[in-house]
Amino acid sequence: MILEILRMSLDSLTANKLRSFLSMLGIIIGVGAVIAIVSVGSGAQSQVTSQISQLGSNIINIGPGISRGRSGRISFSATDVFTMELAEQLMRNCPSLKNIIPSVQASGLLIASNTNYQTSIIGVTPSYQEIYEYYPAVGQFVTTDHEENASNVIVLGAGLAEELFPGENPLGAKVKLFIRNRNLLFTVIGVMEEKGTGAMGNLENQAFIPASVILKKINNRKYVNGYTAQALSSETAKTAVGEIEYFLTRYLTDTNKFRITSQEQILETINQVTGTLSLMLGGIAGISLLVGGIGIMNIMLVSVTERTREIGIRKALGAKRKHILSQFLIESLAMSGFGGLIGIGLGWVGAVGVAKIGGWPLVVTHTSVVVAFSFSLLVGLFFGIYPARKAARLDPVIALSYE
Amino acid sequence: MLIKINNLKKTYKMGEVNVEALGGVSFQIEEQEFVAIIGPSGSGKSTLMHILGCLDQPTAGNYFLDNEDVSRVSDDKLAEIRNKKIGFVFQQFNLLPKATILQNVSVPLIYAGVRGRRKQQHLAEKALQMVGLGDRMNHRPNEVSGGQRQRVAIARALINNPSLILADEPTGNLDSKTGKEIMKIFHQLNKEGHTIIMVTHNQEIANQAQRVIQIRDGLIQRDEVIA
Ligand SMILES: Nc1ncnc2c1ncn2[C@@H]1O[C@H](COP(=O)(O)OP(=O)(O)OP(=O)(O)O)[C@@H](O)[C@H]1O
Ligand SMILES: [Mg+2]
Repeated sequence: MILEILRMSLDSLTANKLRSFLSMLGIIIGVGAVIAIVSVGSGAQSQVTSQISQLGSNIINIGPGISRGRSGRISFSATDVFTMELAEQLMRNCPSLKNIIPSVQASGLLIASNTNYQTSIIGVTPSYQEIYEYYPAVGQFVTTDHEENASNVIVLGAGLAEELFPGENPLGAKVKLFIRNRNLLFTVIGVMEEKGTGAMGNLENQAFIPASVILKKINNRKYVNGYTAQALSSETAKTAVGEIEYFLTRYLTDTNKFRITSQEQILETINQVTGTLSLMLGGIAGISLLVGGIGIMNIMLVSVTERTREIGIRKALGAKRKHILSQFLIESLAMSGFGGLIGIGLGWVGAVGVAKIGGWPLVVTHTSVVVAFSFSLLVGLFFGIYPARKAARLDPVIALSYE
Repeated sequence: MLIKINNLKKTYKMGEVNVEALGGVSFQIEEQEFVAIIGPSGSGKSTLMHILGCLDQPTAGNYFLDNEDVSRVSDDKLAEIRNKKIGFVFQQFNLLPKATILQNVSVPLIYAGVRGRRKQQHLAEKALQMVGLGDRMNHRPNEVSGGQRQRVAIARALINNPSLILADEPTGNLDSKTGKEIMKIFHQLNKEGHTIIMVTHNQEIANQAQRVIQIRDGLIQRDEVIA
């Protein structure tokens, strides 16, 4: 019997093709929007996430704490706490740490034989390469020896090398660093690989010298700005943060003097933000689904009125309430379900298009497809039930005499 | 005894006013009777037929069909009785315009739960042959004449082999020649064992029945058996 009722419903839908299609439009647009938005949201999210995790999700930054100064202004508190020795102590006391490097840098003018270039000079230790997975393409990086002896050696970013020594081999060449009205002479020992612009900014035009050189020969003080640490793995990042926190709190006796941020935390925040955004856009799409549902209800009410006589005839011939109810419910379900399928198709196409333009991976999850489809069926059910009940409860005599 | 009604009343509420369409009607109808109901317009004939056909329920009184009181049962139970025991033929044919003749005749089978397309088609063809409409089964109702439409309606009425066939002015929309042909079918059905109750304005047609019940203002005025 259900097969015959199904056929009746479909017959009536195909008899009014244009009308059925127009009634489906709301659902089509709603579902299409849900699919496209969720896909764009997760695509963008996965792109941001992958950019950040390129940095390594096990990276932890330790910097000066933020304190509120007079008149409530936010200022960084005194930084005279982070020394090279403290870095070594952290390394010894935090078993989840793999590497730790100081953050110290300066800005100066690099002078080669013909050209000069104003750039940032990063103070590094050998671990820098491992933490950022950034290695020299030719020559070598700063070694432990260089660091201990504060040797005047310099490693150039790929772009910088091209600026200072166009078309030449810079290895072994001398460059002068003009900084704070003094000149320091460095020997080029390496050129870094090309890495492009990432979330860390442009690395290509930076220069790298031993951290000790900056501390002893340029800044003349023993303090660095902070540290960049690397946990053994992404899984131990949280533990590592805890260990650092514990150690620094005891060592500095003041939690306001330092501040720890992990990539993990940043990632969480970003996921939260994009999640909220997707939810909001999804909500808007949900509203259009709702509107689509109302459209279906409207057309079903019209259909029930138009077919009052048919309902009367069917009832006179023995149709029970459930038969009439299912006939009309199947109609609205078929409309919303079919509309949902078309919407999924269109949303998919839209998602492919936006992913191409945005340059991120196409993410259409099974979940979003299943959820969108079930939601459209639910809309059809919810908005179809009232007209169908109205039809099922019609009085046969009144329905039969309906003109 | 197929039908027994007892002081049947039907009142319609029209705003403040109550319209009494049936004011207390009682009679019995035996199996295989052929009864004509006559009366002036507005006298309550259709109202009575609707109640007899289980399309409507009385305001007061009792209706026993096959010794079962059906005057106070649920909508769905009434639907089941209409489907199994009653065939209704209307003045306006009341066919589904978008369905073919074969599909129209099959509708009661669907609600009776008769399974299988083949079986349904077979039963529908048989019913159509009984009313002399073996061909034209795949036409739509608007492609055939009025008399043929009424034949379709009769075929539909008898497809579940109901004991009772109700006809409310079945020849009202037909010319007299076609009307006679339709009457022949009813007589044939009566002979085959169906009880027939027919509303008519036509005295000649009423005289073909075994019994005539005359109604006026919602009351039985005359109830007589013809020779
Ligand atoms: N749904 C209704 N609401 C209110 N009054 C109604 C309704 N149906 C019928 N009536 C009234 O009940 C009375 C009987 O109507 P009914 O249709 O039974 O008459 P009838 O004998 O079939 O007339 P006709 O020969 O014209 O078909 C009439 O006065 C009619 O106006
Ligand atoms: Mg009438």
